[in-house]
Amino acid sequence: MKRDRRGCFSAALKRNTRVSPSCSLLVLERPDGFPDARPGQFVSIRVADSPVPLLRRPYSIMDCSPRTISLLVKAVGRGSSSIAARKPGDALDIMGPLGGSSFPEPDGAPAIFVAGGTGLAPLLFAARAWRRRRVAGKIVMLYGAGSRGELLRDLVKGEFSSRAFATLDGSSGFHGDVVALCRSLVRDRRLPAGGTLYSCGPRGMVRALEEEVRGAFRAHYTSLESVMACGVGACRGCVVPVGKKGATVLRTVCNDGTVFDAADIAWEEWEE
Amino acid sequence: MKQRAARFSIGPVAFRNRVFLASGPAGYGVEYADFIRLDRLGGVVTKTITLRPRAGNPGRRLWETSAGLLNSIGLENVGAVVFFAEKLPALAAAGAKPVVSLGAEDWDDYRRLLDAAAGCGGADAFEINLSCPNVERGGMAVGSDPELLAKYVRRAVETLEGRAVIAKLTPNVSDVAVLAKAAASAGAHALTAINTVVGADLCPDLRAPVFRRVRAGLSGPAILPVALDAVWKIARAVDIPVIGSGGVSSVDDAGKFFAAGAAAVQVGTAIFADPGLPERIAASLARRGIPRAIGAKPSSKEC
Repeated sequence: MKRDRRGCFSAALKRNTRVSPSCSLLVLERPDGFPDARPGQFVSIRVADSPVPLLRRPYSIMDCSPRTISLLVKAVGRGSSSIAARKPGDALDIMGPLGGSSFPEPDGAPAIFVAGGTGLAPLLFAARAWRRRRVAGKIVMLYGAGSRGELLRDLVKGEFSSRAFATLDGSSGFHGDVVALCRSLVRDRRLPAGGTLYSCGPRGMVRALEEEVRGAFRAHYTSLESVMACGVGACRGCVVPVGKKGATVLRTVCNDGTVFDAADIAWEEWEE
Repeated sequence: MKQRAARFSIGPVAFRNRVFLASGPAGYGVEYADFIRLDRLGGVVTKTITLRPRAGNPGRRLWETSAGLLNSIGLENVGAVVFFAEKLPALAAAGAKPVVSLGAEDWDDYRRLLDAAAGCGGADAFEINLSCPNVERGGMAVGSDPELLAKYVRRAVETLEGRAVIAKLTPNVSDVAVLAKAAASAGAHALTAINTVVGADLCPDLRAPVFRRVRAGLSGPAILPVALDAVWKIARAVDIPVIGSGGVSSVDDAGKFFAAGAAAVQVGTAIFADPGLPERIAASLARRGIPRAIGAKPSSKEC
């Protein structure tokens, strides 16, 4: 049997659903030959045939079933807005699945997910993939967004043993950021013991999790975001310093990641 | 002018066709093996290797501009030892014809790097990168001085005897033809034009430059006209082959380089969006032939 190999594929858009004022859920037909993806991997989408915008845009895979690939696209600039505006039936040029690492499976131990904004996508994929493979134990989802309107509550459903939400403006759930929510749940001992932390979201969120609540968990794995050019580890444009202070090495978010042990990242040396 | 063949030679070395991956975007080449048929290209110019490993520049390294990309990678690379032991054999094993890009911070490092390259055995074509705008020492500072450039090129030709030596030129000078003549008279077998164009950008809040070093290297479609102008001038100033590089993002763009006088083309930044482009250019050249170079007296016909 021919082995599926990553590459560039033309994928037809099946559905494009606006799930918040700025976010769209894109469900693509999975092209023939597109390999099985793992949670934390991504695809990069060609925005246009013209050179503006120039680069592909990377999106975490939110689900990869035998027939579909789901992505969460937030319209922030020209490229993402153009992708979010694509119509059912349109063909998207997707490159992937990219990313050399993925979220380690919990092997039945409790998993605490912390998602900020569109960082929800790879964690939803992890929950679904692990349920399908029957490797999940308890999964707790802590998810934060700016406001009630941005909070994609309807996407966070049956895969989770429990859920808690946070909004910065307090319009829904916990009033504050998702790190503060996590901190308060840790303090009140309301999270399952012996759990592993899995996160995805803005860099400040992930760093605060690592520095403030990591001690309450067995480990902390995070899927990092970055601007990227190649997506395959060639151009060295998305590097992150990893290792002990003064002896760090540079790893690419796109190909050594996207998933890292958050304890390995030299946060104070990682600037942008 | 007679129709040119797809195959061609640079100095003593033959290449299967006239389409190359440019130095930089494709890394050590193998990273792209799942996306580009490396064995269908004339060659793969590796990212620039220095004697010792380099960490590259801290902070932001990429910034997309209108039809362009500013980069400040800073020649991050694994260094000569790891490159020749691991990366180069892997590239050759992927079916690619390697062209090794060499760079150095100073003369002493440069001589030692050339010695290492001469002893490696795994490559017979080298591109001397004395035109990177993203490093403090070496790079563009050497490559924009015709005498220094000639000295470096001469040393490469002597040390790498029997192999192809290509000098990559910077466009960030008042007259690139002067550099071209200097490199050619020092014995370079071919010239690559151009490296990135120096540029800068400001953060949207107008409080800081985008890059720590302020200046960075611009690539992508925005620089195609700059590269075409350089190739046009160089092709009329020297007798050795010119390899056009800079902004190719379509088969037609590649054709323009040949018409301007290039003997081959490199594709760089365009592979980020369109990894299939280099192979399509090679296929088109094989099918439709290499566009003729415009002669001494261009037709007065308007486009």
